[in-house]
Amino acid sequence: MNVAEDLILELKGITKIFPGVKALNNVQFQLRRGEVHALMGENGAGKSTFIKVITGVHNAEEGQMYLNGKEVHFKGPLDAQEAGIAAVYQHPTSYPELSVTENIFMGHETVKGGIIQWREMNEKAQELLDSLDADFKATDEVGALSVAQQQMTEIAKALSSNAQIFILDEPTAALTANESEKLYGIVDKLREDGKSVIFISHRFEDMYRLASRVTVFRDSQYIGTYDVDGISNADLIKAMVGREITDMYPKEKIELGKEIFRIEGMSRTGFFKDVSLNVRAGEIVGLTGLVGAGRTETIESVCGITKPDAGKVYLEGKELNIKKPEDAMKAGIILLPEDRQKQGLILSWGLGRNVTLPIQDELASNGFNDEKKERELSKERLEEVDTKAVTIFQPASSLSGGNQQKVVVAKALAQSNMKVVIMDEPTKGIDVGAKKEIYEIMGQLAKKGYGIIMISSEMPEIIGMSDRVYVMRNGRVSGCLDRSEVTQERILELSMEQGSSGNGGKTA
Amino acid sequence: MAGKSGREISAVPEGGLKEKLLTWEGALVLIFVAVNILGMIISPVYNATNVLREMPKYLAEAFMVFGMGYILVLGDIDISVGSIVCLSATMACFAGNAGMPFVLVALVCILTGLVCGLINGIIASRFTELPTMIITLGTQIIFRGIAEVSLGSGGSISMNNTDGLSAIASKIGPFPISFFILVIAAVVFITILAKTTFGRKLYAIGSNQTAAKYAGIDVQGIRCLCFTLLGCLSGVSALFLLSTLYGANTTTGNGFEMEVIAMCVFGGIATTGGKGNLIGGFIAAFIIFCLKIALGQRNINTQLILVIIGMMLILSVVIPAISAAIPKKKKLK
Repeated sequence: MNVAEDLILELKGITKIFPGVKALNNVQFQLRRGEVHALMGENGAGKSTFIKVITGVHNAEEGQMYLNGKEVHFKGPLDAQEAGIAAVYQHPTSYPELSVTENIFMGHETVKGGIIQWREMNEKAQELLDSLDADFKATDEVGALSVAQQQMTEIAKALSSNAQIFILDEPTAALTANESEKLYGIVDKLREDGKSVIFISHRFEDMYRLASRVTVFRDSQYIGTYDVDGISNADLIKAMVGREITDMYPKEKIELGKEIFRIEGMSRTGFFKDVSLNVRAGEIVGLTGLVGAGRTETIESVCGITKPDAGKVYLEGKELNIKKPEDAMKAGIILLPEDRQKQGLILSWGLGRNVTLPIQDELASNGFNDEKKERELSKERLEEVDTKAVTIFQPASSLSGGNQQKVVVAKALAQSNMKVVIMDEPTKGIDVGAKKEIYEIMGQLAKKGYGIIMISSEMPEIIGMSDRVYVMRNGRVSGCLDRSEVTQERILELSMEQGSSGNGGKTA
Repeated sequence: MAGKSGREISAVPEGGLKEKLLTWEGALVLIFVAVNILGMIISPVYNATNVLREMPKYLAEAFMVFGMGYILVLGDIDISVGSIVCLSATMACFAGNAGMPFVLVALVCILTGLVCGLINGIIASRFTELPTMIITLGTQIIFRGIAEVSLGSGGSISMNNTDGLSAIASKIGPFPISFFILVIAAVVFITILAKTTFGRKLYAIGSNQTAAKYAGIDVQGIRCLCFTLLGCLSGVSALFLLSTLYGANTTTGNGFEMEVIAMCVFGGIATTGGKGNLIGGFIAAFIIFCLKIALGQRNINTQLILVIIGMMLILSVVIPAISAAIPKKKKLK
């Protein structure tokens, strides 16, 4: 790389460690002045964490950051803002009850003699909006605006604070084609005005349309920086996913039984449409797609957490009438929810009580808790999954993420009527060792003839563990791949928006 | 699939006698004793006979503590119970004066409370995004409003035939009947909360409603049921209150909701849900009754009694918070 190039921002050797996980491992990044630079990678590759390091939300354990050639240390988001770095998130974090003007000038209002100069601020805000070709007024309430308009408000806010570096985190994810086009126009304008832009996106189209260079992260590591003109779609996908699969995934060949579970035509307006899938006994079915593709939403409707508009669920050939979570559980469909801390566990409770919560009625006699039975059963299940705990009475909050997940698994195993297990992001945010243990448990469950659905955004585990993979995109099943035909490229192809503008947006 | 490390996890319950005594309930027992000693010091007529004589009008209120305790454990709140008492008592008087036999009058009283509670429960479980504080603030005004409209311009009603009320106000030995019923109710409600799967579900909902839902617990059904139960108990309170007042007016039950919530909180039940038990609430109720009786005997102004109770309430919340913070500070050093 050219040493003499004009870098506005440079990061070197950034390492960020969360308890048990290296979220960023010695990554680097260079942003030229006046450049639009795409940052790409799979879900969980470390992009968002990296952005948070730049914006001062996270402090990196190691590494240096240079702004205009000078080393800087941000103690918090405020430092980054003052240094001219502005972030616009996918879902803007604004004040919905306040006006556009109030949002734009929040924290740096124009004040004369202790009195806020509303008229002056409204005029200034309107000027900013006009410069962005906005189709709404500075006096409008932000909560009433569309996501695209809210993003524009955030960009106007950044402009008002004289930001030089704009970070856009999946800006087009929630936008329609027309709105995206408008956003492209704004980014072009920012570039013309000499601002520098970093944007994260899963859409190749965004990258081809806007960026001159692209940096790829994978597995918390820096993979490379490429000129957009010089890289093919296939190369980029390789860079994003190309990784050797080792014996991390103890998938055994199991003789599959007959179909045990089937969902047909599940729809819920605004979330997912006409989703059908089936699972055979002993089969591990992967369900993947980008975050927001409707995977979790579909499963939550299947399990009675939310009401679907349409759709049928069959277990062992019989149609089920699932109205509430209890119905699914009684039938033997056990969900391990995505957010183990909010949905899976009561953190303030002891491990034992967490494990027996769904089955306390079965263990009880005449409605009275059988504490002895509960203790024995929970101890047995917790030991079965090898939870690193001292006593069943210690609160769930005292465990690491991986061990909390094991408690969630133990809770599922305690339900003796279990027939189908649905695991939503079972290894999210847990370390490699615990991950492998979860995979081993999955393998053993499959061996015992349970039907398993694994929702995951992590390609390697989807590929490593699944017999079949369903891919969802925009609330629909975009394809189903057999183990023999599944590759990371195929999955990515099925999960990503196809480029429509024709300028090389075709996937490999 | 036995754990490969063979690690053993202890399932032996911890905590001996010492831990059991060092609880907030233990402290409340001491406070109860202290309040009684204080009563005897400040008032020459504070003795068992007099306390028992004055007890019935306070005992009536205590029935609501159980229902309120459940509601608070759920993480909800109900500030309409004072109004429910008013409406139940009013309806009972109308029923009695219409010539209904006492059994039916009692039934009207309790059913009125039950229906009010059911209304709270239905609204709370249907419109889950509404805070129950606001829902029951609304019904508080509505229920009392209905009572006021029914009472008309006079604003009060007296029970013509007081035979039935006198009967439930009678005594067995030195204790009023309501005392025995209250104790039995206490045993039942404390046991349900502490020992049954239903009680465990209340704690689960109060600790993490989302996780409770994912664990297959009928969260909204249980919330609705508990509001109905509290309404029903408010009707019971109204009945025993009638047995000391023989009538109702527009101010009947005024402020009961706050007193009942205060007893629960003083008893160690957190308004944030999932914590505390009814034993504490039950003892706290008696502490407040005895305090009221003792101070009342010295002709101490009612408002001042409220000031003292308010201060005790704040202390009861502050002291555990401080004592919880102390060991943390030590560790930091």
